[in-house]
Amino acid sequence: MQVDAMSAEPRALIVEDETLIAEELRERLSRLGFSVIAAVDSAEEGVAIATSERPDLVLMDIRLKGEKDGVQAAAEIRQKVDVPIVYLTAHSDRLTVERAKQTEHDGFILKPFHRRELQSTIEVAMQRHAIRAKTKTQ
Amino acid sequence: MGSVRLLEWRPMTTPAISPDFFGPSRSAKRPLYFVAAVALVVVSAFLVWPSLGKDLLATNFLPHLYCYLRSPGLIWTHVVADMLIGIAYLAISVTLGYLVYKARRDIPFHWMFLAFGLFIIACGGTHFMEVITIWIPVYVLSAAVKVFTVVASLTTAAVLPFTVPRILTLVQQAKVSEKVTAELRASEERKAALLREVHHRVKNNLAVICSLFYLQSTHTEDEKTIQIFRDMEKRVHSMALVHESLYGSDNLARIDFAQYAQSLAEDILASHRKPGAPVQLKMDLEPVTMGVDLALPCGLILNELISNALKHGFPNGAGGEIQLSLRGVADRECTLSVVDSGVGVPPDLDVSGTKSLGLRLVRLLTQQIRGTFTVAKSDPGTVASLQFMVDQNAS
Repeated sequence: MQVDAMSAEPRALIVEDETLIAEELRERLSRLGFSVIAAVDSAEEGVAIATSERPDLVLMDIRLKGEKDGVQAAAEIRQKVDVPIVYLTAHSDRLTVERAKQTEHDGFILKPFHRRELQSTIEVAMQRHAIRAKTKTQ
Repeated sequence: MGSVRLLEWRPMTTPAISPDFFGPSRSAKRPLYFVAAVALVVVSAFLVWPSLGKDLLATNFLPHLYCYLRSPGLIWTHVVADMLIGIAYLAISVTLGYLVYKARRDIPFHWMFLAFGLFIIACGGTHFMEVITIWIPVYVLSAAVKVFTVVASLTTAAVLPFTVPRILTLVQQAKVSEKVTAELRASEERKAALLREVHHRVKNNLAVICSLFYLQSTHTEDEKTIQIFRDMEKRVHSMALVHESLYGSDNLARIDFAQYAQSLAEDILASHRKPGAPVQLKMDLEPVTMGVDLALPCGLILNELISNALKHGFPNGAGGEIQLSLRGVADRECTLSVVDSGVGVPPDLDVSGTKSLGLRLVRLLTQQIRGTFTVAKSDPGTVASLQFMVDQNAS
């Protein structure tokens, strides 16, 4: 896991186009011990910040404003940097979920968010990434 | 091009544009009259001119055979060619006749097809006569057949130009009608997309309200106040999920309530996860679809019933089971029940006089959907059940 020089808190990026839902996530993540470096509402910004800042976690909404959706953004991020990506989705987005499952990701979180679910999914995602990083360096 | 004018002009119905000179298609007996008239003319000709039959079949000429100098190759080439042409003409006429007979009401200008058929039969007749006159010199009959062919072909040729503008109009109308159909289909698709978008927006707005409740709850330490926000969040979520189910389904008017109930129950259970023994969720849901008007109150009621069971049924971290069942009887009457294995309701529980907001909501919403609600202690736990009617046709 990449550790920021300034603080030991893991750094998270939120890509979600509903500002208030992003704010709820920011609040929940900070309660789980994350520092949220940014909450952006477009795929393009998400890709830009993820590649330049290399956060320890990306929470990616599947439906986004603009031309690209979360699945495309996640694929682009993964091409450039290896960071754990967790999709945010609703029950009904089954078709998109099927498409998202084809891409590389580390977990799914169903809306609405519940503290325990959020916590366990993020933990699993970050562990998967850590194992992947370890096997790569070996 | 006056496509707009054509659009307003009149719907495409063939009888309205059938011409009058050969008779409109509305009378099925007309061909019979025509045949009878021809028969009458032929019979009266024989009556007026009794020797007609004899003259018509006169054979005091040289058979064609001699013209061909009895050359077998030439004779048989003529015979076979004329026979085949005659048979082909006959076959075409039979097909045209059958087509007109089968689809008379739908084919525009069906009399035109009949005229063609008659003309082609006559042409076939002349070829058959060619075959006969090689051996039997019935040249008078052969000439009569030719005269008939002249009448049939000239009539068809004379009438055909007059129908051209009408046929062109028809083709134009068919084009316009095709365009209108495509436009209608596209408009239907746009409408469905718009409706889907509206449900998505409504669901999003309700999700934002849930976030607002959560954010507000983070500004207080008081457990009771926090619980109030949690309850409100869940109620709004149960409504959001109805709209989510709608835009995610093919039918934008009705939701699959079994699927909805499953999603809702899983969400409520996830939000209640506490340390201690787990509460298991068991579901036995029959497929029942309902419109938004019914799904919204039913969803809110279900939310209260499951939440109540979790809140009051299993105190002090006790584990257990919640059984959710949905039964649709004869597509009309529906029973939704929540059975928990918890501590059970107090024996003096009075649903109509309760001060709990949850049960008050259940009572009011049950009234709204004209259902009946019962809650009883079972051994162990509680049985809460809601009965209501589902109108299969209402949206």
